[in-house]
Amino acid sequence: MASGSMKGFFKQKKNSSSISKSSSKSHSKASSNPSVSIASDHPKPTPQISRASLHLKDEHEEVLRQFDMNMAYGPCIGMTRLDRWERANDLGLNPPRDVEGLLKGGRVGLDCLWDGRV
Amino acid sequence: MMRAQNSAHSIESETMRSSSDDSCRILVEYMNTPDEGSSSDKNGKGTFDEDEKFEILNEKYKGQQYSQIYFARLHNARNLLYSLVEKWKPHLPVCTVLGLKEGKECVIVGTLYKHMKLKPSILDEYSKERSAVPLVKPHNFMHPDDQLILEDESGRVKLGGTVLSPSLFVTGLVVALHGMETGAGDFLVQDILEAGLPPQIELPLDSREDKYVVFVSGLSVGSSTSNPLQLQLLVDHITGHLGDEKEQSIASKIVRVVIAGNSVEIPHGLLNGQNLGSKDQSKLSEPIKELDILLTQIAAGIPLDIMPGPSDPANFSLPQQVFILPLHRCLFPGTSAYNTFVSCTNPHSFELDNVRFLGTSGQNIDDLDKYSEAKDRLDFMERTLRWRHLAPTAPSTLGCYPFTGKDPFLIESCPHIYFVGNQNKYETRLLRGSEGQLVRLICIPKFCETGVAIMLNMSNLECHALSFWTQLGS
Repeated sequence: MASGSMKGFFKQKKNSSSISKSSSKSHSKASSNPSVSIASDHPKPTPQISRASLHLKDEHEEVLRQFDMNMAYGPCIGMTRLDRWERANDLGLNPPRDVEGLLKGGRVGLDCLWDGRV
Repeated sequence: MMRAQNSAHSIESETMRSSSDDSCRILVEYMNTPDEGSSSDKNGKGTFDEDEKFEILNEKYKGQQYSQIYFARLHNARNLLYSLVEKWKPHLPVCTVLGLKEGKECVIVGTLYKHMKLKPSILDEYSKERSAVPLVKPHNFMHPDDQLILEDESGRVKLGGTVLSPSLFVTGLVVALHGMETGAGDFLVQDILEAGLPPQIELPLDSREDKYVVFVSGLSVGSSTSNPLQLQLLVDHITGHLGDEKEQSIASKIVRVVIAGNSVEIPHGLLNGQNLGSKDQSKLSEPIKELDILLTQIAAGIPLDIMPGPSDPANFSLPQQVFILPLHRCLFPGTSAYNTFVSCTNPHSFELDNVRFLGTSGQNIDDLDKYSEAKDRLDFMERTLRWRHLAPTAPSTLGCYPFTGKDPFLIESCPHIYFVGNQNKYETRLLRGSEGQLVRLICIPKFCETGVAIMLNMSNLECHALSFWTQLGS
């Protein structure tokens, strides 16, 4: 702080490194729903999956997100969706059976909506 | 990838999370070694240890925050309160906080939050104005301007009116309130319902032979105030080497000794993060060795339960786990040779001859004293039973593990004996509940300061103090 120069603690980065990082991020989030607008500056994921299965994934993801946001089953942050479903079941809250089917079937996001974003 | 939590316990949870599956397996195997017995019947003689719900060995930390334990608490307590509200005010509708309508009388159930002006906040360190915060922390953080707020999943509402006095409540309680919303948006409270004493399994108190349990806490071996002669007198009395025939015959009927925390005190000057020289290293282990010698004498003849306390080398947050689990054989080489020696969690719950015991090393009641007021410590203990929650201020101001599926501090069944360790003086009361429950409340004083241990007669729930003092010199 005594040096008076900003460069010591506010390093300037090249833009290219940030772009390569975000593209690797978007790779791992290939299952993210492109139809829902995500407030980030990630470049859109390349359409590797056929349009038909993408349409199915939207619906499943939508159902799972509604399950995440339903306050009756408690907060969703910090738990996997399956753990939260099991807890809701154990507490006698009768969570929807189709959510359990989706989660155990695989190929859907197992972590809650806010995972990694909050 | 730890989420930033404004709590010092994030460090602890990090180490829990990073323990590999292998080490967990080793820990579990250690717990199941033959001479420890099954986890429920530790001494193999019709006594039952119920500490399983306080154990976190099988819990896996996955980055959750404390909202999960609050949800579990609200859900369980609310279901209970809904069933009680039906008998309390059957004519009134029950609604959620968001469903409140102005002028409509109703009942709402939720978690209390007490907004306290003087409660220390970690954000004060970053505040730009350095004037208001006093450097010396007051013992009690209450202030006449404290406000109560009720919360549930849908929202929160400020509580107004004169029925509720904030000084009697703390954050974390689940209660039912009868009242209505005012024009200002507050909820005017007309009446309050607490859960009340839980149901108790009745105890036939007449034709039982005398059996005694000795409670002691705050031995603080290794501190400057502990007196080795006093400690040895205690051990000699318990093992029947002291006293006249009457005393010895009473000592022969002791069936359990429970040490409620703060058994050792490691000299603080040594724990400043620097490497220890060999002389300091032996100073660190001296108190535990001394304690082991004392405890071996007791464990050789009587079942002994030891609970960790705030100053013991165990984890900081509640529920405190057994004394550094797999190492206790190393910490207590002499005592752990006996299967009468049982290292317990804090809180500790067990059953002896159908008499149910529940107790802590004091942190829950000490914390209530910081954020609310009562005539004496027994009043705080009574309140925790009436609220059916051992430690309502956890995790708000009392360190706690972030459970996801349960709140282990909820009291489901009323104990017959409720004890709290490390208090300033010996106090006891027999509490009678509205449904015939009978509870003996015991405040166990710190032995290093008072020289007092408590002797409880299980046949009639009477207890008396054993006082040891020494006077040297002419």
